[in-house]
Amino acid sequence: MSSPAIIRLDNVSFCYGQRDARALDDVSLEIRPGEFVGVTGPSGAGKSTLAAALSGAVPHHYRGSLYGAVYVDGQDTCEVSLTDIARTVGSVTQDIDAQMVASVVEDELLFGLENFGVPHDEIEGRLAGALATVGISGLRDREIATLSGGQKQKVAVAAILALRPRVLVLDEPTAALDPASSKLIFQTLSQLNRNSGITVVVIEQKVALLSEFCDRILVMNGGRLVLDGTPREVFAHGPELRQMGVDSPRVARVSNSLAEHGVIDPGPPCLSVGEAETLIRGLLAAHGEESLPAAGAGPSSADPLSAPSQVSPHTPVPSASERAESPVVDLSDVSFSYPGSGDGVAHVNLSVRPGELVGVVGQNGAGKTTLTKLLNGLLRPASGAVRIAGIDTRTVPVSRIAAHVSTLFQNPDRQLCKDTVLDEVAFGLELQGVDAREARQRAQAATERFGLPAGESPFSLSRGQRQMVALASVVVMEPQVVLLDEPTSGLDYRECMTVMETVGQMAERGCAVIMVCHDMEVVSDFAERVVVMAGGRVLADGSAAEVFAQPGLMEAASIEAPQVAQLSQALARSASPRFAGISQVSGIVDLVEEMVRP
Amino acid sequence: MTSVIDYVAGDTLLHRLNPVTKLAVAAAVIVATLLADTYPLLVGLIVLTLAIGAYAGALRRLASLLKVLVPLAVIMLLLQTAVVRTGAPVVAWVTTDGLVTGSKACLRLLGVAMPLILMLSVTKMGDLANACVEVLHVPYRYAFTFTTALRFVPVFSQEMTAIMEAQTARGVEYDTRNPFRKLQLMLPLCVPLLVSSVGKTDATALAAEQRGFYLRTRASSYKRYPIVARDWVVLALCVALVALGAAL
Repeated sequence: MSSPAIIRLDNVSFCYGQRDARALDDVSLEIRPGEFVGVTGPSGAGKSTLAAALSGAVPHHYRGSLYGAVYVDGQDTCEVSLTDIARTVGSVTQDIDAQMVASVVEDELLFGLENFGVPHDEIEGRLAGALATVGISGLRDREIATLSGGQKQKVAVAAILALRPRVLVLDEPTAALDPASSKLIFQTLSQLNRNSGITVVVIEQKVALLSEFCDRILVMNGGRLVLDGTPREVFAHGPELRQMGVDSPRVARVSNSLAEHGVIDPGPPCLSVGEAETLIRGLLAAHGEESLPAAGAGPSSADPLSAPSQVSPHTPVPSASERAESPVVDLSDVSFSYPGSGDGVAHVNLSVRPGELVGVVGQNGAGKTTLTKLLNGLLRPASGAVRIAGIDTRTVPVSRIAAHVSTLFQNPDRQLCKDTVLDEVAFGLELQGVDAREARQRAQAATERFGLPAGESPFSLSRGQRQMVALASVVVMEPQVVLLDEPTSGLDYRECMTVMETVGQMAERGCAVIMVCHDMEVVSDFAERVVVMAGGRVLADGSAAEVFAQPGLMEAASIEAPQVAQLSQALARSASPRFAGISQVSGIVDLVEEMVRP
Repeated sequence: MTSVIDYVAGDTLLHRLNPVTKLAVAAAVIVATLLADTYPLLVGLIVLTLAIGAYAGALRRLASLLKVLVPLAVIMLLLQTAVVRTGAPVVAWVTTDGLVTGSKACLRLLGVAMPLILMLSVTKMGDLANACVEVLHVPYRYAFTFTTALRFVPVFSQEMTAIMEAQTARGVEYDTRNPFRKLQLMLPLCVPLLVSSVGKTDATALAAEQRGFYLRTRASSYKRYPIVARDWVVLALCVALVALGAAL
């Protein structure tokens, strides 16, 4: 703690351009060498602006008014050039494609090395070393355009690493990645931090990753730094974080909630499944609940716990799905492969009834997006048949299928094209031939419901609000089927909940919802049925509790069960079978409370 | 991945030439094509380009380019015959002179368009930029601008495809058979595409600056691009080719 800060912010405020609103508001902060700092907060909190201030992009690249001072390695960033700051601070920005300056991996790494005048006899060593450090030596001669998102992210990190910066600043490096690749990126960062002593500052929405890897977490809200401490200190403020729109790891919620219910004394929260299991087992033991013979192994052991046969009283009641209605979506033995590559889907069978909310999970490249494109008609099956509301998608144009299926895309900007929010929301209705006056009335009602500014241009809104405009244009269509492709990426916790609650309501009214999602917590909270995909095939299709309780299946699909599912499995093994199949924080808390207070 | 200027990997003599020499080859074929005025030479130059393409394994690339060029060439032929009305009439408005000038214009179009694409497809963009800086003393910022623009072409076309897919899924009739209707529907999308392109370009500029773009000099490049004996031989052949074009 005694070593001098490598980056210091003294009362820093920043407004973009001529605007009065402060993107950063009086932030003071010290980052010491060797720290692994996570930054989180709701959208619009100023996280990216903070990253820009640390890397010198504020004030050198983004124009605006800066107050206070930022010192990098003791030098005021206003007094040195961006290039000089870059010698100390390497930065990886959000848009990974825009970060690239070359078309081949090797050239991408060479660019910085050559520019900073690294002696030519050192270049080969540094280049090979940086590639090896992030584990992509095999990609050296590949064209960047042919790499996956996770690989590109690693190339970006390697290109910065080769320059040997003392600080690495990353802005949401995992936003477009699946859980397995996200974890790999954090493991790589953690290694760099421990082995090479590089200070890491990472902006991230995935709180479970932050709590696992960071030794310090900063929480921003409204341009201000509101919390600063170890993960345990920060996540002890669960309710406050929630109010701001910041999620907490589910196991932290379990222990915080037990404390709120007076079952345990308030204190630092649990941060891992193992900790929560130990805590609860200890509680039960203290209250005379006999423990099962300890399974010994942690929650991630591949102990093949057969799918729980007895349905726990805590599994969410399957609602509309049990209605004996005929499926509105029906795929029978559907195969499709992209020309030139083996990717695609093979022999997919899936039927979804009105009112069902189905989550589709799997790694990047598992065929999830292909599946959604087959459903909305953008792709036609090579064999088998896709029927939507009784229509074979091969027989009608996509624009006609749109009357039955609405898709909410991951990137709302591709969906938006009108001058005002109202026009945008009414547009889909007008395309389906709804009378202009009625379309506007319905659009007006929808924009009011979401609290959107009807007269403004959609492009002037924030990322979260643009997603809401896209969502309103889906809701207003009152479709029979809704497809969601990563509906929560790029959204903060609160926006994410608004989207999911709206979708839940649509399902209740009889709309079939199919949601492709990387966030297992969201899937287990909202989907009653989960389809697991890998390598273009459906590996499993069942209730969320059932699917997440199969460690072998999770491994085969390279996904990680949500924390609560892991915890309930561990407890079912080591404490009481009554925990089997619980998928919600409240379920665990209620059961523990019942067991310790007879 | 679907762009015509993607790199075609290989280890032929053509691949190993200095990128500047390859540009000279393309330039020589183009200049010769423009100067040439006889059918044998015009056809010969196209055959030469195709032969080099076949040697470098890039024939398929040229074939896909021809699919676009041939219809263009045919339209050009028709236009030329409509404009040039001297000489003996053949069929309808078409005259002998019209046919001659038209067909030569056609062959020139093919002969001019193919060599550059061929040479770009057997050269890595980074090498081309660095070699131009080293050998031709082109300022690096121009070389960088050029290669970045080329790199962005597929990125933007992917973006455009994604936008059109999203709009089709909403019910916009991009799947219409009427090309004029399709064009009319596409125009409004230029704005969102432009907005995202400006953002991307700005982010790339920032990323380049943070990696020392402004420190770069002619001596920075780690890979060197000397003009060696085989390059001199090929350059001599280029001069001969231009002379041939001028003579015939």
